[in-house]
Amino acid sequence: MKQGLKTTSLFAAAILSAVGMVSSAALADDAKSITTVVKISGIPWFDRMETGVTKFAEANPDMAISQVGPSTADSAQQLQIINDLVAKGTDALAVVPMDPAIIEGILKRAMDRGTIVVTHEADNQKNTMVDVEAFDNAYYGASMNKRLVECMGGTGKWTTFVGSLGSRTHMQWVGAGEENAAQSPDMELVDPNNESFDDANLVYEKTKELLRKHPDLKGFQSSAGNDVLGIGRAVEEAGLAGKVCVVGTGLPNPSAAYLDTGAITAIGFWDPQKAGMAMNSVAKTLLEGGEIVDGMDLGVEGYEKVTVKPGPGDGLLVFGNGMVLADKDTYKDYLF
Amino acid sequence: MTMVQDMSNSPIPTPEESARPSLGELFRRRPELVSLTILIVLCIVVAAINPAFLQASSLIDMGRASVVTGLFALGVFAILAAGGIDVSFPAIAALTMYSATLFVINVWPTAPMALIVASTVIGGAGLGALNGWMVHTLKVPSLIVTVGTQYLFRGILLAFIGTVWLMELPAQMTAFGKAPLLEFNGVNDVIVTLPMYFLIFPAAAIVTWYMFNKTLMGRAIFATGGNADVAERLGYNQRIVHVFVFAFSGALAGLAGIIHVCANRMANPFDLVGTEIEVIAAVVLGGARITGGTGTVFGTITGVLLITVVNNSLVLVGIPSTWQRVVVGGFILLAAAFFVKRQKK
Repeated sequence: MKQGLKTTSLFAAAILSAVGMVSSAALADDAKSITTVVKISGIPWFDRMETGVTKFAEANPDMAISQVGPSTADSAQQLQIINDLVAKGTDALAVVPMDPAIIEGILKRAMDRGTIVVTHEADNQKNTMVDVEAFDNAYYGASMNKRLVECMGGTGKWTTFVGSLGSRTHMQWVGAGEENAAQSPDMELVDPNNESFDDANLVYEKTKELLRKHPDLKGFQSSAGNDVLGIGRAVEEAGLAGKVCVVGTGLPNPSAAYLDTGAITAIGFWDPQKAGMAMNSVAKTLLEGGEIVDGMDLGVEGYEKVTVKPGPGDGLLVFGNGMVLADKDTYKDYLF
Repeated sequence: MTMVQDMSNSPIPTPEESARPSLGELFRRRPELVSLTILIVLCIVVAAINPAFLQASSLIDMGRASVVTGLFALGVFAILAAGGIDVSFPAIAALTMYSATLFVINVWPTAPMALIVASTVIGGAGLGALNGWMVHTLKVPSLIVTVGTQYLFRGILLAFIGTVWLMELPAQMTAFGKAPLLEFNGVNDVIVTLPMYFLIFPAAAIVTWYMFNKTLMGRAIFATGGNADVAERLGYNQRIVHVFVFAFSGALAGLAGIIHVCANRMANPFDLVGTEIEVIAAVVLGGARITGGTGTVFGTITGVLLITVVNNSLVLVGIPSTWQRVVVGGFILLAAAFFVKRQKK
């Protein structure tokens, strides 16, 4: 059985690379290619990113621009895809790494071969030319907290959720939130940094427990995408919609019902469509021999005046201003 | 008849033990009493640290939280009793619940709730039967088979059926998830609800108990788990036992899946996966041996409650989130070690 599996995958790999050779041969002379590699293909977030990549492709018909990704959230599969693309000779890679550490090696090899490498959501990636971030993490966390403080009237008990304690960006967000809340002396943080593992049901149960321990709990700031859904359901079922403030990372479509009832106060996110376009724009500039400089305009909404800092490796970190904070009245502008 | 029934209740029959069993003896013969003792001690400790634990709302929340884990655990218990193990049940649950929800939304939005539940139960039983058939025909350990089918079922779900969160459930499913068995205003005017679907867990437990203690199939399962060769020579059809027990677990998984969707008011195809370890831990904490042939329904329920109480009282007790996983892991390890020691004596 195992042997069978192995043969099949070898066979599949052979076909894949044969197809790859044909297409790269066809493209070799004329068009420059930019390939966006996402964490998982087929989920709403990266479907939304693909609309951005498609838009960018339409605006640049002389280039071969496409998006690919593994079917499951598996860093090994993503590595394999990048391997194939490098072997095939794509001119530029725009990668959203599942696990930055795992693809360091292949990205280095790609750059050594002259491939342009751009990343996103990976400000600790060493082997990249430019890492594009939608916003500065501290700014994002502080902005969400400002909305929370405003909703709570600057007073009361509040708590935080993170995807996991090992998630660096989530810890940065709630950390910046705490700093912001410290300016209002009546804001009291209780039982912080609850782990959600991005599981709405787990968050639901934790929220009920938190509300039981602190019946006067008035605010939640959450980080992973499904957290607001669990908090929203617990708050709504307890009849507390509108009485408890909930601000967290979330997507407009799934959160819509809870935003309408007031069980979620506001959701923060960045538009993956714009991020995809920004990555491709940077890749295009680099392909044409251009430079990325502080304050430049990437030609994408939210990235008109980017901040450029040195990255952890030889590359650059580029921050946009692509944060969106949507509430009941504004979420309809971003349905994805 | 009664002889055999007694055997299934006391896992290690030792003829020499007689009139006045000591406490240790009792614990050895009825390992589920150990879990019950641990559960009671745990509840007392938690209540002493934070009396809010004893609020009705807290007990109701835990009752509700135990339903999905409980249904999974009853299925795993049945398979452990037959000497196998199953890690594919969350994938079965995810596949059936998501397919059924998608079908109802797109094709038949007014489908009656009973039919939706029936379809996931039957679908789950079918997928489970496939597991059982493979375990029997391929003569491969059930761990290997179910690790394989776990990937297979999940792959089919994500590749062919869908990866999008379904947020707008049909009205009858939302109603099923919300329908209250009892509802009242707790502290601070917070509305506390025990949903109707909670009753499904005790009902499934009674069915499972009946099957194991009152039917021939129950005896066949324990016999198979005790020693498959002997059971075969005794005339228990191994193919039927294997297919049945995995189908039973699959059916319960399908049921748990659709309840999960209705309660959560969304169908997320990435949900449930990863819960298998916790469920297996619950069954083992309930006194079933991982090597098969033993265990009781009562013990399984106690194990589920143990896990649920531990998971739902960490914040109340005031354990910081950095330490919560350490505490849960340590607890499972200690309790399990206590068991194995008791059973070896």
